[in-house]
Amino acid sequence: MKTKRESPLLEIHKSLNANIGEFAGWIMPMSYGDYMKEHLSVRTEVGVFDISHMGRLRVTGRDSLLILDYLTTRKIVPIKNIIIGPNAFLNENGGFLDDVLVYVIEQDNYLLVTNAINKDKIKNWLLYWRDIKKMDFEVKDLTDETAMIAIQGKKAKEISILNSYSNLKPLTFIMSENPFLLVSRSGWTGEDGFEVIGEERRIREIFLNLVNLGIQPCGLISRDSLRLEMGFLLYGEDFDENISPVEARYWVFDISKEFLGKEKVMEKLIDGVEKLRVGLKFKKGERFIPRKGLKIAIGGKEIGEITSGHYSPLLNRAIAMGYIKSTHFFLGLNTEVAYRGKTFSAKLSDFPLI
Amino acid sequence: MSRKFINHYEVREDRYYTETDEWVVIQGNIAIIGITDYAQKKLRDIVGVDLPKEGKEVKKGESVGVIESVKAASDVYSPLTGKIIEVNKRLVDEPELLNKSPYDDGWIFKLEIHRPEEKSKLLSPEGYIKKIGGESG
Repeated sequence: MKTKRESPLLEIHKSLNANIGEFAGWIMPMSYGDYMKEHLSVRTEVGVFDISHMGRLRVTGRDSLLILDYLTTRKIVPIKNIIIGPNAFLNENGGFLDDVLVYVIEQDNYLLVTNAINKDKIKNWLLYWRDIKKMDFEVKDLTDETAMIAIQGKKAKEISILNSYSNLKPLTFIMSENPFLLVSRSGWTGEDGFEVIGEERRIREIFLNLVNLGIQPCGLISRDSLRLEMGFLLYGEDFDENISPVEARYWVFDISKEFLGKEKVMEKLIDGVEKLRVGLKFKKGERFIPRKGLKIAIGGKEIGEITSGHYSPLLNRAIAMGYIKSTHFFLGLNTEVAYRGKTFSAKLSDFPLI
Repeated sequence: MSRKFINHYEVREDRYYTETDEWVVIQGNIAIIGITDYAQKKLRDIVGVDLPKEGKEVKKGESVGVIESVKAASDVYSPLTGKIIEVNKRLVDEPELLNKSPYDDGWIFKLEIHRPEEKSKLLSPEGYIKKIGGESG
């Protein structure tokens, strides 16, 4: 088995002079030379991303509804062609195994889109519970036989080749089998847009068509800066198995239903937690990237830590998210972040940061 | 002007190089310094730069500035001993010039050379090609 996987669109990216790098074990386009330009294209017009690294699992069979409803935090309502998300798998302690989108194809037929690093974990988790509960369903990994792209920005709906999908409502999709093609109204940038999953050859064709129409190709760096402006969490950076929806203030659960990990989540809601996720805005004109692990302090005393940061070309300032002590959740207060021998002022802010 | 490419990294033949990926153009007793194409590609998208102070006396190998990129914060070292006589102030608002034009518009500072004998320690274009060939495979 290959340890590093290549995007099926890699040759296209190379021909577009992309800066290629590794993310979650995948060789992917990081930028096409200027992530700020890519970022602003999405915020003002439209851009297209290769997100083939995302995990794609098909769950089918009699008990697929039952298992997904038990293992994820949102109620799985089997209405065809809707996406239930953001949704999450928690462990018994209420910690995040992953955040996912659940696509309802049929009552007994679902697609899960997972984070790249969690795909195998989620597949194994489903199979583990199938054995314990003696349930009847199958999990098929579609990641290697498909590719995935996202077209994001307010002008996405005006693109000629996507015109037939412009009536799709947010978090719904259209799918066809043979050849497999799924188009949804969804994304991770805070903008309107579409995500398309399909056979590698078809997705390559669509991506090239979009670029030839003059649409800005965007790499994973701008995907990261865009999601951070919105306050969307990145698994492995901003949350993991030791963080529950409560500390993360990531309200992905339906309190009216039962799900694995709910007991602990309720306990935390009732008893309170020690730390909470917060946003940070730095001063205009200070051009740097707040790095993961930097300490957040008040009056020289540490109250928390940054989990991810970026430079926002929209705000012209550095932004970040992290966790601070819940006793010091003073939104609007300027805190201190020491970096490279300097102290930067960072205002505690709620999301979105734009 | 003669340019060479190794693994997509441009190396120009009209200048010297350092082990820490700076380039040096020498004009009489003045040295112009920047970072190489290899360095900017490794750093990826550059968001900011801390420039050295004009008038500062610096030693060979001394850190004189910092480049902030999406990947890392990276020091810029002075390749020679001397006095900084000019810095490229355009980089304050347009740090992306370091990505777009590392060998021309993206120059970082000019130095009045105080110890000309140090020039012999700089890498030739061939020496630098060998260095990045060994690193980038």
